[in-house]
Amino acid sequence: MSRPPLALLIPAVLLALGVLALFLFTFFPGGEPVSPYLARDAAGETGAANLVAGVYLNYRLYDTLFEVLVFAVAVIGVRYYLVGQKEGAAPPIPESPVVRTAADLLFSPLLLIGVYLVLFGHLSPGGGFAGGVVGGSGLLLCAIGLGGEVIARRFHETALERAEWLILAGFLLLLLVPVLFGAAPGTNLLPQGTVGNPVSGGTIVIYNILIGAKVFIGTWVVIYYFTRHRGEV
Amino acid sequence: MTVRTVLLLALPVIAVFALTRARRLTAVIAMGLFSFVIAAVYLLFHAPDVGLTEAAIGAGLVTFIYILSIRKTGRLVILADEAPGLLSRENEGITGLEWEILSGFARELGLDPVVRFLPRPEIGHALRRGEGDIGAGGILAGEETPGLVATPGYLPTALFRISPAGGAGRIRHGFEYFGELADAVRRKAPLAATVDLARFMGLARGDLTGYTVAREEGEHAYAFLVPADQPELHSRLCDYLNRLQESGKLDELVRRYLE
Amino acid sequence: MGIVIAVVLLGIAILGLVLRRDLIFKLLSLGVLNSGAVLFLVSLGDRAGGTAPIVRGPGPAAYVDPLPQALVLSAIVIDFAVLAVALVFAMLLVERYHTTDSVRIEEEVTKELYR
Repeated sequence: MSRPPLALLIPAVLLALGVLALFLFTFFPGGEPVSPYLARDAAGETGAANLVAGVYLNYRLYDTLFEVLVFAVAVIGVRYYLVGQKEGAAPPIPESPVVRTAADLLFSPLLLIGVYLVLFGHLSPGGGFAGGVVGGSGLLLCAIGLGGEVIARRFHETALERAEWLILAGFLLLLLVPVLFGAAPGTNLLPQGTVGNPVSGGTIVIYNILIGAKVFIGTWVVIYYFTRHRGEV
Repeated sequence: MTVRTVLLLALPVIAVFALTRARRLTAVIAMGLFSFVIAAVYLLFHAPDVGLTEAAIGAGLVTFIYILSIRKTGRLVILADEAPGLLSRENEGITGLEWEILSGFARELGLDPVVRFLPRPEIGHALRRGEGDIGAGGILAGEETPGLVATPGYLPTALFRISPAGGAGRIRHGFEYFGELADAVRRKAPLAATVDLARFMGLARGDLTGYTVAREEGEHAYAFLVPADQPELHSRLCDYLNRLQESGKLDELVRRYLE
Repeated sequence: MGIVIAVVLLGIAILGLVLRRDLIFKLLSLGVLNSGAVLFLVSLGDRAGGTAPIVRGPGPAAYVDPLPQALVLSAIVIDFAVLAVALVFAMLLVERYHTTDSVRIEEEVTKELYR
């Protein structure tokens, strides 16, 4: 690392201090915190025992959906720029028998844990995002131990594309059907059930499943194209 | 002192450690450790969803895609500064005498040759840190430092000293990349530099009025640098260069590129 | 305490972003920046004596604020995706200009633009 010139160091430090000064506003909070109301009412209103899931899939659903959109666009970007590149030469990491066996053994349990986190995200920590990335870690283990082509064999790219279309249809269904009944898009019209029941929360479980699948497919795309290309940095 | 406070205090330390490393691989692994620690911190802040997601993403996927992009296996990494005729860029590719020599060598080893351009003074440091396999770009035999070994010179050369005629006020001495030197000469900026034959020929294609040029005494030759901990690479490279000289291919390449 | 450390991390990340020339280190600084922001929001939600916001039984209980956690949960996953895109761009840049030095890449691009 070459010595940064003084002309760069001083503005950098000033910029850092300036940005940090903005956070001094934290010590002068205004208004009333929402958390007591959430703690009291959220479980009953949303039907989810995991209050965080209740918040991001019910009260702030639109935020979550747009963030899923950002994720999808980023994955599109990765695929678009890497799809035309030539393939890499040698396998990235040497495959010893231990790693290969471990990858074979652990792949299915990791997928199962991912599915569990997605399905029970409204009752215990987890949710769509966490479950999707844990499933992605299973793919990662496969790609490291057995090579990138294995994850392409187990999850065909065309099948994943069709799954993405289904997920999109699912989202549109959940968003537009309530409008037909005169409610705001995406509101929960299914029965809530009792809090703590695996079947509760109404559409929260369905959203979790859709988000988990989408994150899983996105992670597959990133891992597959990175393994195939194996950049030159 | 709760566990949480201890871990929180460790975070800036790990972050500073990661961002001040010289080797990219060390920094990436340190960031993996950072992710783990901050996932534990999220758990201790009673945010289990956040901690779970951060652990799965930060320690696994992020480290993985970094390592996939900065891998070095299967390549022969050449660190160099540009030297016209020896190793320089042309449109999208690389050309030059040294490039021909080193590509043939890499093909013989079964590796892909890859060039990284670095400032001349940093090539030695980078080689010692393990960031590259061979140092090239008009390096003179005798420029060895501890930790590096040079091949015997494969091509004799000469040194030239360029200084402003009539002595101007502020003279600029150091240049990181050869391209900067070439630009400065084009702009007729006052500078003083010592360049080898290939770079001098590259500068002489332009206009050198306004500078005095003096040839320095002494015998010099071009060579390649290899880190000292790779003796087999060094011996194979010397062997390859000998074979090039004996078969006359070296003279043919010199004729093609330096005349 | 969490807020202070988060702010310190943000400062470190900004300094790292500006002062290191290598593209990879710039991306790593962005990672630290993201973690600092997430830590900031999570520690804002911390309440004294609170527990994880998961309802286990009937009756009132003190929970930490679930709202900041919900906000940052998807942010972490998006950070990974955006990092992947940024790495793709870095890889393509390095393949084209044969160096990871950001200053050098800027020079090359400028030369190409004004040739």
